[in-house]
Amino acid sequence: MTEIKRLLKYSLNYKWWFIGGSIMMVLMVFFELLGPLIIMTVLDDHIRLGEGNINVEAVIRLLIIYALIKLFHAIVAYFAQIILQSTGAKVVQSIRHQVFEHIQKLPVKYFDNLPAGKVVARITNDTESMLEFFTYVLPMFLVNGLTMMAITLAIFIVNIYAGIIMLIFVPIILLWIIVYRKYSNDYNHMKRERNSDMNAAISESINGMTTIQVFNREKQIESEFKDLNDEYTDSATKLVKLNGLSGDNLAGVMQSFVFALMVIVFSLAFLSPSEALTVGTMYLLVDYITRFFNPLYEIVGQIEIFEQARVASVKVFEMIDEEEEIEDKGTLDDFDGDIDFRNVSFFYKEGHLVLKEIDLSVGRGETIALVGHTGSGKSSIINLLMRFYDPTEGRVLFSGKDTKHINKKELRKHVSIVLQDPFIYAGTLLYNIRLNNEDISREAARAALLEVGGRELMEKLDRGMDAWLPERGATLSLGERQLISFARALAFDPKVLVLDEATSNVDSETEQMIQNAMKVVSRKRTTFIIAHRLSTIQHADQIIILEEGNIMEQGNHQSLMDMNGIYAEMFKMQVMDRNMRHA
Amino acid sequence: MIDFIYKLKWYFSEHKMKYLLIVVLAVISNFMEVIPPQLIGRTIDLINTGDMTIGTMWLIFLLFIAVIISTYLLLYSWFYMLFGSAYDIESILRMRLMQKFLTLSPSFYERNKTGDLMAKATNDMRSINRAMGFGLITLLDASTFLLTIILVMAFTINLELTFYALLPLPLLIIIEVYLGRMISKRHTESQKSFGVMNDAALEVVEGVRLTRSYVQEEAEAASFKGKTKDYLDRFMKVEKLDALFQPLTIFVVSLSFIIAFGYGAVLVNEGEMTVGEVVTFNIYLNMLIWPMFAMGMLFNIMQRGNASLNRVEEVLQTEDDVVDTGDSIVESSEIDFEHVSFSYPASSRQNLDGVTIHLKAGDTLGIVGKTGSGKTTLIRQLLKMYPAGTGSLIIDGINITRLNKKELRQRIGYVSQENILFSRTVKDNILFGNPGASDDELDRAIEVSALDSDLALMQKGLQTMVGEKGVALSGGQKQRISIARSLIKDPEILIFDDALSAVDAKTEQQIIDNIKRERKEKTTIIVTHRLSAVRHADVIVVLEDGRIAETGSHDELVKSDGWYRRQNQYYETGGEEND
Repeated sequence: MTEIKRLLKYSLNYKWWFIGGSIMMVLMVFFELLGPLIIMTVLDDHIRLGEGNINVEAVIRLLIIYALIKLFHAIVAYFAQIILQSTGAKVVQSIRHQVFEHIQKLPVKYFDNLPAGKVVARITNDTESMLEFFTYVLPMFLVNGLTMMAITLAIFIVNIYAGIIMLIFVPIILLWIIVYRKYSNDYNHMKRERNSDMNAAISESINGMTTIQVFNREKQIESEFKDLNDEYTDSATKLVKLNGLSGDNLAGVMQSFVFALMVIVFSLAFLSPSEALTVGTMYLLVDYITRFFNPLYEIVGQIEIFEQARVASVKVFEMIDEEEEIEDKGTLDDFDGDIDFRNVSFFYKEGHLVLKEIDLSVGRGETIALVGHTGSGKSSIINLLMRFYDPTEGRVLFSGKDTKHINKKELRKHVSIVLQDPFIYAGTLLYNIRLNNEDISREAARAALLEVGGRELMEKLDRGMDAWLPERGATLSLGERQLISFARALAFDPKVLVLDEATSNVDSETEQMIQNAMKVVSRKRTTFIIAHRLSTIQHADQIIILEEGNIMEQGNHQSLMDMNGIYAEMFKMQVMDRNMRHA
Repeated sequence: MIDFIYKLKWYFSEHKMKYLLIVVLAVISNFMEVIPPQLIGRTIDLINTGDMTIGTMWLIFLLFIAVIISTYLLLYSWFYMLFGSAYDIESILRMRLMQKFLTLSPSFYERNKTGDLMAKATNDMRSINRAMGFGLITLLDASTFLLTIILVMAFTINLELTFYALLPLPLLIIIEVYLGRMISKRHTESQKSFGVMNDAALEVVEGVRLTRSYVQEEAEAASFKGKTKDYLDRFMKVEKLDALFQPLTIFVVSLSFIIAFGYGAVLVNEGEMTVGEVVTFNIYLNMLIWPMFAMGMLFNIMQRGNASLNRVEEVLQTEDDVVDTGDSIVESSEIDFEHVSFSYPASSRQNLDGVTIHLKAGDTLGIVGKTGSGKTTLIRQLLKMYPAGTGSLIIDGINITRLNKKELRQRIGYVSQENILFSRTVKDNILFGNPGASDDELDRAIEVSALDSDLALMQKGLQTMVGEKGVALSGGQKQRISIARSLIKDPEILIFDDALSAVDAKTEQQIIDNIKRERKEKTTIIVTHRLSAVRHADVIVVLEDGRIAETGSHDELVKSDGWYRRQNQYYETGGEEND
């Protein structure tokens, strides 16, 4: 329950609002208890007198007071709810902002180990559960708890025996809620798990339908799904059984049982020598008891939401507690594009070195190409260069300065990256080139796009630079998206450029288009290229052949060909077919 | 409401006895629930008139306990039956939906968004469940309960008082129906806004490297704040309406009580009622609030349930547009495309235009051409994923329209562009192609698809979980697993649809060589962007705008002056400059 405490702490920032809402709530309970008192007076002072003795006018006067009380009751109830809900919503909004700002400061490592969907679920869905906690569960618990306490007290004052009976019921009710919560949590948990499994199975099946059908695996998928569906239905049915046995139904039993006991209390009060209860008092007790049990139905109904909020809070707080990256102070004023890797070793997981004592030296304006298979360490070099990760051992130097001490943002201002799968934001073409950087003028952004060969693309789009691109640039071809990301890199005018497999996955015509863009962008810049196809990197000043984290060969195209090693062999592979033709 | 029940009448008639029992039990339990207020009213009356004795007291008490126990059991049994059935039908419908999904062709999935189909299997199921469970209970319980109480009030206490006291209560139904609808409208808007916020978060998380590279963290946070504010505003709009429910109920109900006591006082004064009756009447009045409220909710719940049922039925009644009548079996794998033309339902042009290709068993066919030239469309015809166009596609002498889909696909191995893997181990993903394969066959498939070196890198090797719940694999690894999956099937016809795009040149060559060796006798079709992958093919087809622009072997094609030759030169000059 520590997470609930922590959750409640957030509300301290809005404590005056909560206090205001709570005052409204107290008033609400007060009016709620006041109403039946008027009715008691009506019964005792008037109606009880029986045929011919009733002053109807006095009754009407009392009923008008009753109506006024109910009016106030209604008004206060409205404001209590609105104040508490809007305050709760503000609390959750501030949690949401905190989470969002926090993830911007988490190391990239965090995102590499967790699927995007899960991270997003924390930011939005889990905080949404918190919202339900603050807007429904918390006010409901407060109001109902308060009501039940006030009523118990009121019953005590009205009749001590009835009060004692109520007191006996309080621990029984608490015990019942605890036991019910335990069992319903188990079933609810199971039900939710299976539900999300089913959702995952459906979405996966829909996405992979062609594969399923072509491999004739419909029966297998169906029977796997049937198992999930059956388990879901099974736990749902168990929950129905539990609710039927111990939910509202049991609350109803307790309520009726209290009434049955009241029959005895009323009768014994009448039969004993002490004073008999008046009709009004008896009515008041019945009314109060009804009002005592009503909240119970609500509490039982909200237990599941409470539980979800609790689980969600644990997840959100776990994320908030993830350590942020330290903001280094070092600046990078006199950086000219000179980069050195000195004896760099690196691992993601202890014991699995992915880079082993790497030494590299790239002069300003040079182009360096990294070649190797998946897992050879190419991408790790880029990760270190961008400071997405820091080396385990050794140093990465920018103009002689160890990057470990350079402020990350400062460093990244000098480095632009073009990824294999270019990322397009939902927004205008202009936005996608300059992002939120207002220093880049519209003209500059346009010029950058034209320079990488995007004229055709710009003319194709309806409103040119103002054309709206949908999420992930779904209406554009891969080549077009890649052009935009090249234009972006160019517009930001970095000293260092990273091209991470920017040309794989495209057809040859697109590749030609991108090759040209690459030439434009890498001019006068220190450029790191990762490429599958050797044809794209032959002009590089340095070519590095990596294998399992080691540099196997290093040199330019000519020297590597002369060496007649791995590179030469790979290169020959790629032109082999031409030789076959000649043969 | 009637509509909803009518559409599910197959279920009701299947469980006729159960529902009959539910109705009977519901009526009895409602009747039982009316007794306690009577007992309390009687007690008060007896005390008031001074006739209460110890004996009567115990009698009333014991009667009370008997009623409590039987009500509990009655309520439990029919609640359980009714809610249980709601989950039962939800389960049946969801299973039917899934079964239907599994039979529908790609064109269906192009017409319908995944998100929408998902919603049908989840949200809509929940509305149907609510209508079948909560909805029916309300319909049954609330209406019979309402009727019972009103009748009891009217005929055991006072007809006139009942009439006047009930006058304000229909207002509750109206409030519930209209307020409920307005809320649901605003709720939809707030959900939309939530979706926008969700997408924004997703964009930021997926693009985290880009955001960091271009130092956009603060700008992103500012834009996200705008979205959370918009959502909060819309959420509060819903809540402002929602907060009206309780106060309105409180006030409307108090009006009923005022009438009951005011007019009740008059009636007692005139000697037509006793005090105890006034108390009992008001307890009944209190008991009416919930069913009145529920009746209001009922309209909306049933309406939503019905709309959801319609959405689900829409899918269940979809006829697959690929007609599947034949049952002939393919023996070998000669493939003849004869003037095959085809256009997609939404397309304004011919996506395939008079394509003619002849392929002998054991041939390798290479298909190349620009993006959008019809390569994949051609493959889809062969897989019977779309209705046949004009012309004829003949496999082993039999027109494909006469071939049974399952039988046909049994003989085809297919690696798609998307490299779909499922949430299970690498091994199970490969065995997906042929669950009965032996370990030898598995090893062979892994070897031919050059997957062995990848497996060595994975921590748990073949047992590594992949897919949504597993580790992230690179595009090349996924591709090689997909290839292994198709190879383990050892199909008569193997189709690679741009299936080597994410592997490097060396591995590509390795896989191609392996396949050439392994599949000498069998037909292989390779669609690709890279000419190097089809150089060895017996026939290469160059597609352009759905037509065959060039056809021949590699040697023939490089001699003719066309797209193929130009592309080939482009690749080669890359090598010649520095050679």
